[in-house]
Amino acid sequence: MELLNLAWKNLWRSRRRTLITLAAVSFSLMLVQGSHNLSFGVYSAMIDSGVRAGTGHLVVYQRDYVDSRDEKFSFAPQQLVEQIGQLDGVEAVLPRLFLPGLAQSTRESRGVLVTGVDSQAEQRINPFLKGMSLEQLPSLSGREAVVGSRLLKELQLKPGNKFVVTLQSRDGELVSEMFRVHSVVTTGMKNIDKSLLLVGRERAARLAGIPGEIQELAVVLRDQQAEQAVYPKLQRLLKDRPQLRALSWTEAMPNLSNAIKLDYASSQFIFIILLLIVTIGVINTLLMSVMERFKEFGVILAVGASALRLRILVFAEAFLLGVVAMVLGSVFGSLLTWYLQAVGIDLRDFMEGNLEFGGVVFDPIMRASWDWPYMLQIAFFMLLLSLVAAIYPAIKAGRILPAEALRHH
Amino acid sequence: MLWRLAIRNIWRNRRRTLLTLSAMVVSSALLILCLGIFSGMLKDMLASATEQYFGHLEISTKGYQEDRDMFANFSVSDDFLLLLQPQVLGFSPRLRSFGLLSGQDKSSPVELLGVEPERERQVTSLQDHLQAGSYLLADDHEGALIGAGLARRLAVKPGDQLVFVTQAADGSIGNDLLTVRGVFATGDQGHDNGLVLVALPWLQQLLVLPGRLHEIAVRIEHPLQAAAFAAQLRQKLPTTLEVLDWGELLPEMREVVASYDVSRLIIVSILYVATGLGILNTFFMSVMERTREFGVLMAVGMRPGQVRLMVLLETLAMGLLALLIGVVFGVLLSLYMAYVGIDLSGSLTPITYAGGTILPRLHAVLEVTNVLVPAAVLLLVCLLAGFLPANRAARMQPVVAIREE
Amino acid sequence: MSLIELKSVSKIYPLGNQQVVAVANLSLKIKAGEFTVLAGPSGSGKTTLLNLIGCLDQPSEGEVWLDGHNVGKEEAKQLAKLRLNKIGFIFQSYNLIPVLTAAENAEFTLMLLGIDKVKRRQRIVELFAELGLQGLEDRNPSDLSGGQQQRVAIARAMAAQPAVILADEPTASLDLQTSEDLLALMQRLNETQGVTFVFSSHDPLVISHARRVVSLRDGCLESDR
Repeated sequence: MELLNLAWKNLWRSRRRTLITLAAVSFSLMLVQGSHNLSFGVYSAMIDSGVRAGTGHLVVYQRDYVDSRDEKFSFAPQQLVEQIGQLDGVEAVLPRLFLPGLAQSTRESRGVLVTGVDSQAEQRINPFLKGMSLEQLPSLSGREAVVGSRLLKELQLKPGNKFVVTLQSRDGELVSEMFRVHSVVTTGMKNIDKSLLLVGRERAARLAGIPGEIQELAVVLRDQQAEQAVYPKLQRLLKDRPQLRALSWTEAMPNLSNAIKLDYASSQFIFIILLLIVTIGVINTLLMSVMERFKEFGVILAVGASALRLRILVFAEAFLLGVVAMVLGSVFGSLLTWYLQAVGIDLRDFMEGNLEFGGVVFDPIMRASWDWPYMLQIAFFMLLLSLVAAIYPAIKAGRILPAEALRHH
Repeated sequence: MLWRLAIRNIWRNRRRTLLTLSAMVVSSALLILCLGIFSGMLKDMLASATEQYFGHLEISTKGYQEDRDMFANFSVSDDFLLLLQPQVLGFSPRLRSFGLLSGQDKSSPVELLGVEPERERQVTSLQDHLQAGSYLLADDHEGALIGAGLARRLAVKPGDQLVFVTQAADGSIGNDLLTVRGVFATGDQGHDNGLVLVALPWLQQLLVLPGRLHEIAVRIEHPLQAAAFAAQLRQKLPTTLEVLDWGELLPEMREVVASYDVSRLIIVSILYVATGLGILNTFFMSVMERTREFGVLMAVGMRPGQVRLMVLLETLAMGLLALLIGVVFGVLLSLYMAYVGIDLSGSLTPITYAGGTILPRLHAVLEVTNVLVPAAVLLLVCLLAGFLPANRAARMQPVVAIREE
Repeated sequence: MSLIELKSVSKIYPLGNQQVVAVANLSLKIKAGEFTVLAGPSGSGKTTLLNLIGCLDQPSEGEVWLDGHNVGKEEAKQLAKLRLNKIGFIFQSYNLIPVLTAAENAEFTLMLLGIDKVKRRQRIVELFAELGLQGLEDRNPSDLSGGQQQRVAIARAMAAQPAVILADEPTASLDLQTSEDLLALMQRLNETQGVTFVFSSHDPLVISHARRVVSLRDGCLESDR
């Protein structure tokens, strides 16, 4: 305890130096915490929007549909929609059918991915359909179609126009069917706007010669965190049908999860450089403070302290420096997070147009959200780093020869 | 004289100088590396959109790129193409069609580009991404180069027959046979799953559009100067045609590039604030230690301005030294990453967004800005961090300073 | 038996390419309760000798015995322990730890010995009373006069009741009157409490207070009376 007291007093002998060092360490901690929390918030928002438009948090496919995207891997959902819907934490279950085909107007033809959906379920969940009423969406077996705005333009169609969809049915024949443009959707992503075509699931299934079947059962959860808890329950429901597989969104949407991984890895790399620089700064400070007190350390050794004591003293000083930086940095980091959560960063101030990341359109206002365990973890890591920074100065201090140090002026 | 004094002074406390230098070197070298890798990703992404598909510029009928209307076609004289020749790395006249492509018993919607193989390979680099078979030959009338995903879906390999069905310009349904010559894999899912290259005359015949084109894709030497080149080209074109650079074709990509410039500055500033605080600390320490010495210098007639200059020169000398080492290390690291790189395909799949694809690899690109920005900012930070201690040194009263122990 | 015994001790320092002989083949015995001055001009080896006795340094040749321990043979860790338990140091420039108060400086060795706070305070109160430092307990060293600082240094040296107190030119930074007072104080401590003192000094005043004067010249024993 006395040692900590002494260390604390030593720390403030060179007030400016300690303050500057503290500023560097806590500034870095603040940035790491703040930007992690911002990423955390933005990623959560992206995942949320991504899974709602995409495969859900969890998804059921037949065999390796996820890799092959072969439409022969379709299955009849039977009771699954109701059963999964009753699981705790499940917000919605979306049965979907995907059929690659050709959409033709009188002038043009384009490749499309005909998506058969249940409008009732989809309307509440799918962000692409935000703001649309049920009347604007296709009925289960009607001829209404929701068309991406760019596709509409390329096909030279207007709302209300008819067009033909040609695709290959299960038995290999090319089959065609007439649909009518019922509503138009603009997502902001070119790839989607030029290929989106939503129709009633039953209609699509009958056209493809697989009535009642689907390829994807997207399970949207109320809370992302519930994935771990729901997954085993979902697997239990599927145990009688071994050809069906439950996957997490990270496997089903590798594009999004990898985009997040890569983005996070890049910021981690920057953090590592930052921490490295800060650590070198702390080593410098501690070393200076040891070298400055060369004679004093000689005296402390002369009055009977062991070299180990001196080392502990240096570590104690680093520890206190680390603790103060950890607290200050966390306070600043929390303030920054608070600001980024309450106000956020409005990207519309910096750029125009839609914001897309990893195949997901995201909210132009980036908002942080709190990741307490991480903040705590990185704060303690900072403390650990200042202790690591003390190793070399402590070794130096421990090697001081008292007789020589006492001669020193 | 002041320079010599400054340089000697920074070596007086060698350990401290070395530690501070190492922080500066680490920050600048790793920054250069890091920016090089980010540029590499960006370049991959841009390349997937331009060098694998659009080219850097597209000449087409006004509005064609908006809706890709089959009827928005044009023809150009050979004179015009020859005019284009000397100014670009390559250009490729193309005709485009959308339709259904069928293999043995599977079919899939595709986008067909009718090209002249020898010209197309000057613009796009699909020949570098062949997975099987070969590129189209100049006189091959019915050959097709298809994406890997598509080949898998249709279960075809080089030598297999394909049938393409679409609507022709005269309203009839056109269909004809193709033979798979090669399969390419770029990592971009959109291209790998739905793009097919065929011979231009074959497609012109099928669509009943003899001699007509939809676009001329152009490749130039400096992609980032595409907009300027497009403006220049515009004046030479008939009014019915337009030139769009990749930024106009892919506004999302242009935003990614713009936001990269912003984030580069943010990263540089963040790292240098931390480095700058370290330098500030070192120079304060070194100035405070030498209080007595400054007193003596001033007592023998050195003016405060000269003392300030001397301390600033010390920081500048240190900054220059750090810069030299940092740039050398940074460039070496970047070169290593440019020629060797790290393959991440074990843990990452290609990531497609904003119209481009980031390949799963760490691969640096050396760009002058990526060296200049960290270098210039480092010097600036050094001078800023030296400013306070220099002022402090200049404000000392000689008498007080000498008395100080 | 002697508290301190030096048997043909030499100490040689490297200095650049040369070797400096600080102490040459010197033998000396000091018994408990003595009040000894090592006299001689600067450079005569006084400080080196004190450092050897004080376990701060080890001899190049010969043996240094302190209370039954062969200093030359001990490990660094053991030397620190010996310094803590057997020796008290007083320096020319006081060398108090500037961030600690007078009392905290004095109880520093007791802290190192792990003695609890209450007992430490008791001992410091006693010592400060003995040394005329009452009321100065919470002062910082920078707020004390030279004489006061040196008395705090004596308190620090005595706190753990060491076998011997070594003082390197203890009066060299003090004025005459203060030096006189300090010497009188140390002499009294020697007489009443039996504290063994070994000084180094070239100050005639100090030498005049000593009961035994060991004169050194160029690292050799010149006289012992």
